[in-house]
Amino acid sequence: MAGLKTIIVLSFILAIGFLLVILSAALYKNFLTLLVVATYVVAPIPNWLCGRASSQDDFMDSGSSSIVELGRFMTGFLVVMGVALPVVLAHCDLIRPEAMVMSIVGGLLIYGTIISFTMFFHQEEEF
Amino acid sequence: MQASTPQEHWYSLAAQRHTSRPLNITDGQQFSIALFVFIDAATFSKSNLNGSEFHVNFVDWIPGIFSVLGMLIINSIDKSRLSADNFSYSGDGVAWKARVVLFMGFAAMAGGLAGSVTVCLLKYVVREASWPALWFGVANIASNALIMLSSVVLWVSQNMEDDYTYNLAL
Repeated sequence: MAGLKTIIVLSFILAIGFLLVILSAALYKNFLTLLVVATYVVAPIPNWLCGRASSQDDFMDSGSSSIVELGRFMTGFLVVMGVALPVVLAHCDLIRPEAMVMSIVGGLLIYGTIISFTMFFHQEEEF
Repeated sequence: MQASTPQEHWYSLAAQRHTSRPLNITDGQQFSIALFVFIDAATFSKSNLNGSEFHVNFVDWIPGIFSVLGMLIINSIDKSRLSADNFSYSGDGVAWKARVVLFMGFAAMAGGLAGSVTVCLLKYVVREASWPALWFGVANIASNALIMLSSVVLWVSQNMEDDYTYNLAL
């Protein structure tokens, strides 16, 4: 029953992350910070899709093909975008700096949950 | 995960990832930083904080467009074409053609960087912009330099494919 505890802990962390982002939007009546959630939810999708697309003839060639690198490129782009978007919004006086800090921390918690969830349950599926 | 606790399993997975692909700045992240540095300048130009008469126009976007174009050209060339002149299957002089295209890509990227310096000097420094408006020009130079650097990182990482090291340690 190792997986059950993991799921509970991860769901708590995910809930805390969503709480922080929604608070950062609702406390200051400015809902631009909700874009961080969308960015972090979309972020792992290119990596998944491109990894799935290349794994069919995996034994033929070693080394990563170009579509895997495209997926990594877009995922890295979106991950940094989740941090850079609140910073830009706060620098241009569209959101408060407190909202920036809360949304960055919440977004990192959400993304960390998604990544560790993938790492836990992707391996189980393979073996 | 047979007998280990989830924490140990997670740590071992993390260790595997660290040995194969260290947690460094990838090219996509660097490109994102570059793009958002410039978007910050463009947004700041339209925001309430900009009290000066300087604004970011389409002229400021042109060097960035050229840099991105050069990056696309450089990275869409197959690296094995550059040294495969002998057993070419699509006519003679494949390496020469690839080098010409590569040169055009590098020229576009260098032109983008030089253009950003030009825009910064002619539009902001010569007209004696003070700091919050001078940021528009400085951000232009910084984002173009970062795009160039990310292309270099991608180039080096693709040429080091044999060693299973994806990223350049920065």
